[in-house]
Amino acid sequence: MASSIPRSSLSARFGRTFIKIVLVTTLVFLSLPVVLTFISSFAAEWIGPLPSGFLTFGNWNDVITGTDVGADVSVGSSLLYSAGLALGGVIINICVGVPIAYAIARYDFWGRDWVNVFAILPLAPGIILGIAFLRTYPDLSTSGIALVIGYSLLKSPYMVMAVQSSFQSMDLQQIEESSRSLGASWIRTFLTVIVPNAKEGIIAGSIISWTLAAAEFNFSYIVYSRGTPPLSIFLYNNITNASFLNAAAAVSVFFLLIALVTIALQIVGNQAAIRRL
Amino acid sequence: MSVDVDSVMGPLGRLPSTAKNIVWPQSERQRERRRIVGLCLPFLILLVFSGIVPLTEMFRISFSEARLVTEGFTVQYYEQLILDPYYRTIAFNTLWFGLATTITSIAIAVPVAHALAKYDLPGESVILTILSFPNSLPGIVAAFMIIVLFGNTGLITNIIAGFSGQSPINLAIATSVGGLFLAYLYSMIPRALLLLRGTYAEVNTDAEEAARSLGATPFETFRYVTLPQIKPGLIGAFVLVFRTALAIFGTILILKSLLVWTLQIDREIAQGFNIAQASAMATVWFVFVFVFTLIALRYTSAEVSL
Repeated sequence: MASSIPRSSLSARFGRTFIKIVLVTTLVFLSLPVVLTFISSFAAEWIGPLPSGFLTFGNWNDVITGTDVGADVSVGSSLLYSAGLALGGVIINICVGVPIAYAIARYDFWGRDWVNVFAILPLAPGIILGIAFLRTYPDLSTSGIALVIGYSLLKSPYMVMAVQSSFQSMDLQQIEESSRSLGASWIRTFLTVIVPNAKEGIIAGSIISWTLAAAEFNFSYIVYSRGTPPLSIFLYNNITNASFLNAAAAVSVFFLLIALVTIALQIVGNQAAIRRL
Repeated sequence: MSVDVDSVMGPLGRLPSTAKNIVWPQSERQRERRRIVGLCLPFLILLVFSGIVPLTEMFRISFSEARLVTEGFTVQYYEQLILDPYYRTIAFNTLWFGLATTITSIAIAVPVAHALAKYDLPGESVILTILSFPNSLPGIVAAFMIIVLFGNTGLITNIIAGFSGQSPINLAIATSVGGLFLAYLYSMIPRALLLLRGTYAEVNTDAEEAARSLGATPFETFRYVTLPQIKPGLIGAFVLVFRTALAIFGTILILKSLLVWTLQIDREIAQGFNIAQASAMATVWFVFVFVFTLIALRYTSAEVSL
């Protein structure tokens, strides 16, 4: 009976409006500071409610060339150093993540679910792992090797998940059996049939774990001792020591990096990976 | 990937065969076993060298009597954690703050996930990008974002100051506990949303439509039809977001408004390199989170997916 539907209930009248208000507030809360930071990095000063003195590249210039006070090094060296460290982490992640993702997706074995839990849940967060690294690998800390292996463990879940999502859409058993019956050895099947087919997931996983490793602060902060600071330490030095607008420019460099990575992921076309980033 | 909790915790099953058969397999079955071991081995090596070995060392240091080498056995650092009211306050701060921010961020993420799943929103891909963007920002940047909005020169501070006529300095909340709360939310809402969107994708919309056409109000439909379906996902999201909240460090290092466990770990290192006390605190953190996750997965219907 249509007439019995209580059309005037509170949630029918205001529910949708309420949910939309929450959505819009969340969107503004998350995006407004990003936009403001980017805009203010081109401003000469920010004293009143809004930054003023456009358009100047002084802040960007300080960040790119480096000043001798506060944030003393240029962003280039930190960016390159972090890019290299994160790349090292990604290479390790490909070597460890692709095989274990295949084992979990293809085979049914004793303790498989436990292996899965360990592969996709981070074992310990950055700060705890950093404390654990301090005395275990004191010599490695200064060379950056400790950062590389730390990053690779911290970010490996993202690689495993991205590759698993690729494997899920494939009939792995059939592919493996076809290849084997045509005479390829198992190792050859894995390297020349399975891995190329999971290319999309591997690329997406690499991009994600690279970005997150380059952005990792907590672990870097504890383990890093001297030499070129990683990008996140560079950001920290800027936020704590440099002028507000210089810090805004430094943070904007990081935003640009994330934007580039998001575009790269869109080109790869892995929607699930973009959402995860 | 979802983890089926029952089968994780189920009976141990058959023990693996001897190592000899894995290295020199005799049958196809044993060859398959060798492949599985070979595939898992690289990950296990990484796990051992960069996870288990350092964490074990950390555990041993926390009982060490000497400061610079690991030797002797003492529980003084744990005694201190239990007996000193200073550490009890920190533990209390960490737990209530983590719990409050987790509940708030999930309470905000549920309606947002609902809107994304049910409504026809204009520019949905832009909305999704904005909502997931903070997931790749480190905590220090989240703290900076809060300073931009609520600091002394912050936009919202100045807007409120303009309307109320008060000084912005008195209104700035960025470095208060309230500002820290917002900074936590800045990193936790996108995380909660990521987890809940996966859950919402699996909701049976037919049942919801049936409930509505049978006369249930939108809220009743949500309460009695949608909520039971997303409950495992909600509990799973709660577990993971709470873990995230406990692990936050960069944000609090910038804003410094509440002394929580992770910040105190850093202070033990920074002020006099008291690595044993820091290790004891890190061990307590690790054991607490590990046991908490285990219990949550075992005794609730939590569905952990990332």
